[in-house]
Amino acid sequence: METLRDAFDFRDFSRIERIVFLLFSVFLLVFPWLGTGSFVKAVMIQFLLFSLFGMGWNTIGGYGGQVELGKAQYVGIGAYTVALMMVWWRIPFWVSMPIGILIAVGYSFIIGYPLFRLKGHYFAIATICTSLVLQDIFINWKLVGAAKGIELPIHEHPDFLYMQFKSDTHYFYFIMVLFFAGLFYMNWFRKSKLGYQLRMIKDDEEAAESLGIDARWCKIKAYSIASAFVAVGGGFLAVYNLYIDPYSVMDLDLSIKIALMAMLGGPASMWGPIIGAAFLVPLDRFLGSWLGGQRGLIGLDFMIYSALIMVVSAYQPRGIWGILEQFRRKGA
Amino acid sequence: MALLEVIDLVKDFGGVVANNRVSFSIDRGEIIGLIGPNGAGKTTLFNCIVGYHKPNSGKVIFKGREMTGFKPFMTSREGIGRTFQIMKVTAGMNVLENVMVGAFCRTDHRPSARKEALEILAFLGLEDLKAYHLNELPVAGQKKVGLARALAIQPELLMLDEVASGLNPKETEEMVNLLKRIHLEKKITLFLIEHIMEVVMPISQRVIVLDGGEKIAEGLPKEIVKHERVIKAYLGEKYAQGL
Repeated sequence: METLRDAFDFRDFSRIERIVFLLFSVFLLVFPWLGTGSFVKAVMIQFLLFSLFGMGWNTIGGYGGQVELGKAQYVGIGAYTVALMMVWWRIPFWVSMPIGILIAVGYSFIIGYPLFRLKGHYFAIATICTSLVLQDIFINWKLVGAAKGIELPIHEHPDFLYMQFKSDTHYFYFIMVLFFAGLFYMNWFRKSKLGYQLRMIKDDEEAAESLGIDARWCKIKAYSIASAFVAVGGGFLAVYNLYIDPYSVMDLDLSIKIALMAMLGGPASMWGPIIGAAFLVPLDRFLGSWLGGQRGLIGLDFMIYSALIMVVSAYQPRGIWGILEQFRRKGA
Repeated sequence: MALLEVIDLVKDFGGVVANNRVSFSIDRGEIIGLIGPNGAGKTTLFNCIVGYHKPNSGKVIFKGREMTGFKPFMTSREGIGRTFQIMKVTAGMNVLENVMVGAFCRTDHRPSARKEALEILAFLGLEDLKAYHLNELPVAGQKKVGLARALAIQPELLMLDEVASGLNPKETEEMVNLLKRIHLEKKITLFLIEHIMEVVMPISQRVIVLDGGEKIAEGLPKEIVKHERVIKAYLGEKYAQGL
């Protein structure tokens, strides 16, 4: 009961934040009816998906302060579980997705246990490696389609059991529901005991231990929560794209994007990952297609992308959200 | 039964012996001072007791139970609180949240952790600072927050590592009064490393002196200041004459 109340209680945010959040929610609800093209809709879906990824990353990376660069392996686990179960045994999404989450969480405990013996840079490097190893295994594993990947059987009619639809509107609402579920979860998480303990670990791990906090266990827990979030996103990707391969769902590129968006938006804040995704996903898409496709300036979008990240992180390590808060503090 | 018992504790850092067969015991309700020149092994001894270092040999017994080699989070859950000589000053959490983290050691329930934290802040006279971040506070404030945090885990033994260093005389006096109140009202046994004699001598019931990793003396403060080896190693002739 208390948990539910915490999840839906936004009273400790400022009035402006609540109003913006409300307007944003209304905007999301009516967005498919605004008559935008399919490209814009696809960008919106990507935005919500990466917000979800970012929120998950934020538990261990933001609140816990651990530079985690291996989230793609969990996208892969979620996506492959859903896809393979559908192809092999025709198991519906709503059964395979929870199983995918369980596998991701189990795997994250196994990986996390040795991983969190490491700290700082070593930890970051190790997370990259574990993800690359899993990707390599999938690239060479014939049973799961190896490098060619897997195509999901296409259903003729919209199917809620397998979450297959013809129109992007359905997918939009589907990911929107997941997005809000993640958001409410995070609203609970940041107020939970684990949330407080992680922030202490980030600030001063020695002091945290002196306050009865088992730092390593807390990090493992947060890591598996993040993995569950990301696996859900991966499951969505499988039914949305109807095709997955190790390059699209397990690439280092994806891991880095997930971490960067949350870091740019503002780690350890409620809105940070959403803001980060709202900036970078459209930038990634529009700049990519405009500069690369129409002007022939392939690669320029990546330069702009990275310059932006450098500027923000040099100016305010707490990201765009940190800059906004700075202005608000000065104004008040 | 002694609250804390340390028996023949040895810690050696690859050749440098930081603690050599140190033994002592602390009874419930005592205030014990630990003094010694720089590099005497005081902080190492603290770290061995609470588990940041693993002693090479020897035993640490707390409440009759051996806990040599326990991790720091285990010793703190058992009831040993500690403060740090140098506190990391960060902007991540405000004062109230810092103390709440300590209170979460004994409860999973946020409102009760908050209530407990507010009570401790009131006890230490820090209510007005609760919304500030550590980096916005003067040293005295930071030290008090460290104290509040450690108190929030409801320790039976509180180990303070140079809690008065960097404070001016007025703040030092305040801190001494605070420690007396913690001892008296909260009934917490205190074990303090201290360089400032004005802090350690008046409040300690017993003083342990370390030099070069070995315990060279133990006794009442007035005995310690007259102890020949202590004067030679640490206090200097002047202090002995002045007292």
